[in-house]
Amino acid sequence: MASVKISNLKKEYGPVQVLHSLDLEVADGDFVVLLGPSGCGKSTLLRMIAGLEPITAGDVFFDDRRVNDIHAKDRNIAMVFQNYALYAHMSVRKNMAFSMRLKKIDKKIIDEKVEWAASILGLEPYLDRLPKELSGGQRQRVAMGRAIVRDPDVFLFDEPLSNLDAKLRVQMRTEIKDLHQRLKTTTVYVTHDQIEAMTMADEVVIMRDGVIEQAGSPMDIYDNPGNLFVAQFIGSPGMNIVECQVSEANGKLCATKGDLQLPLPSNANVINGQTIYYGIRPEHLQATRQASLAASDSNDKSITGVVRVVEPTGPEIHIYSKLDNQDVCSISRDRVLWAPGEDIHFIPDVEHVHLFDGDTKLAI
Amino acid sequence: MNGFAAKNVLRYVLSITIVCIFIFPIAWFALTSIKPVSAVFNKDEVVVFDFKPTFENYQVTVLGGKKADTESGSSIGMGTSGSGAYDGRGSIVSSLIVAISSTFMATLISLLAAYALSRLNFRGSQGYMQWILSQRFLPPIAIIIPLVFIFRDLGLRDTHFGLVIAHTLINIPIALLILKSFFDDVPIEIDQAAMIDGATRFQCFYMVVVPMIKGGIAATAVLCFIFSWTEFLLSLFLTSSIRTIPVKITTFVTSTGSEWGYISALGTAAIVPGFIFILLVQNHLVRGLTMGAVKD
Repeated sequence: MASVKISNLKKEYGPVQVLHSLDLEVADGDFVVLLGPSGCGKSTLLRMIAGLEPITAGDVFFDDRRVNDIHAKDRNIAMVFQNYALYAHMSVRKNMAFSMRLKKIDKKIIDEKVEWAASILGLEPYLDRLPKELSGGQRQRVAMGRAIVRDPDVFLFDEPLSNLDAKLRVQMRTEIKDLHQRLKTTTVYVTHDQIEAMTMADEVVIMRDGVIEQAGSPMDIYDNPGNLFVAQFIGSPGMNIVECQVSEANGKLCATKGDLQLPLPSNANVINGQTIYYGIRPEHLQATRQASLAASDSNDKSITGVVRVVEPTGPEIHIYSKLDNQDVCSISRDRVLWAPGEDIHFIPDVEHVHLFDGDTKLAI
Repeated sequence: MNGFAAKNVLRYVLSITIVCIFIFPIAWFALTSIKPVSAVFNKDEVVVFDFKPTFENYQVTVLGGKKADTESGSSIGMGTSGSGAYDGRGSIVSSLIVAISSTFMATLISLLAAYALSRLNFRGSQGYMQWILSQRFLPPIAIIIPLVFIFRDLGLRDTHFGLVIAHTLINIPIALLILKSFFDDVPIEIDQAAMIDGATRFQCFYMVVVPMIKGGIAATAVLCFIFSWTEFLLSLFLTSSIRTIPVKITTFVTSTGSEWGYISALGTAAIVPGFIFILLVQNHLVRGLTMGAVKD
């Protein structure tokens, strides 16, 4: 096992700069997830760690070893690809044994290792089958088996679950996390699925356009997004964002947009007239039918919208409404039936409001 | 009878008809090879099948038997150099040597080149493919005269080795094109997975990627073999004592007539090796061997 350190890493394809001076440290045994929208450079970063992509500038270290010029085959890493990349002409057993066969490891040890990996991944009955005779989830497990038999210093996953159906994805997510807890191998995992990132990671690294926007523990990122992009990207349904002005009403500062008046947290570091983005997560926006209740909690003016779409998910109901021409989502755990077209009043949980500067888009 | 069954019957009738049309010339050719001369040249009626089949044509051309003086001794197209001129055994051996060797060489060279073109980025790798293909744009007759002189000066003319080189060169562009498309079908992640597993580029080539395109290699080999087996022009110009089957057959057309019996016998016999070769590799002639490697 090893820690991974990336310092000042750059990647250019001709005139196009894909990664801009990245710095990142992955502690030994950590599970780090690189998260970002398509094209943000997260896979490129992973492939540079793997040694599959040349480095334009900067360094990659495994512990204290600089690996820039070390070939992928000599980096002692294991990688699981999005499309599994199994050797189609080899049985499951041979797929898993391949790396050890190349190292000319004793056949008995190879067999033991393969059996061990198969028992962890539940692949024992399939060892002599060809990949084409397996289901998607089983193939994914073979790809993981191929990775774990090697005792790699670093595990790299490149969107390994994105080809699986929803149910299997959830199951494999748990299995990968369980595997990591057992093996404690340093892991770098790339995904664009924030649920995967949130559920699995010790640390989430959010990337956009070749830049790291924020890195931290999943809960920390969720509770304290550092900028507007992270705030919008993390969370499903996403955070409600309203661009507004700070103004004074009834002797108190509040955020206004047209007729809309939104209460600010007591410790908000804003000045009158400042343009801000007002963000609140759907679960912190309580919906009610009683206008009076809503009004008494805010600055005497109720926040009223019209219900547009109601999505029951089982444990909760997602209510999408129009609020002064703005789409707003709120989550209700009450079994209250809302009908489209109905008036809806909101009580924002003021202490969970996120404010971002109008210019820099950084958290205030 | 419902519509579905009628459609099925119609489909069978149609396919049988088409097969008959295509197989007719070959069948007629094969039938001619076992007809006595009298039946081949019967001017009064068309003899579809002679009930006294003769294997003399095969005996002479394939087994090297003596040319029997037929009935009145009026053999059509008398061989100027005796019955030995119709012995096709040497030609069969020559054709086998040339076809098998050139198929092997063309496939091997193209395999390495196609992998490089498919996987490695090097300066001009795009134009390279066009350049290789352009070698086939010229009609062979246009290059045959210089080729004859070059081969003569190199001492390669009228040698098996020379002909193998010529056939290999002609086969490489097409083999390369086909194999490259098969390599392109194998996702690059397979190579990368193998390399991360510790394989060198060459190990990755022969242990992982090549076995995955066995079907494509077989198809390419079949095409190369058939080309070389039936190639006429180069063989005619580059050899004089070595005679491959197509060249040998033309010598059966002489100034005094055409030995249709011998032509058809050697021609029919020539179908057999190609047929056997295809039977041997046809198990591999399935695409989709990469199935299961990646999520489709």
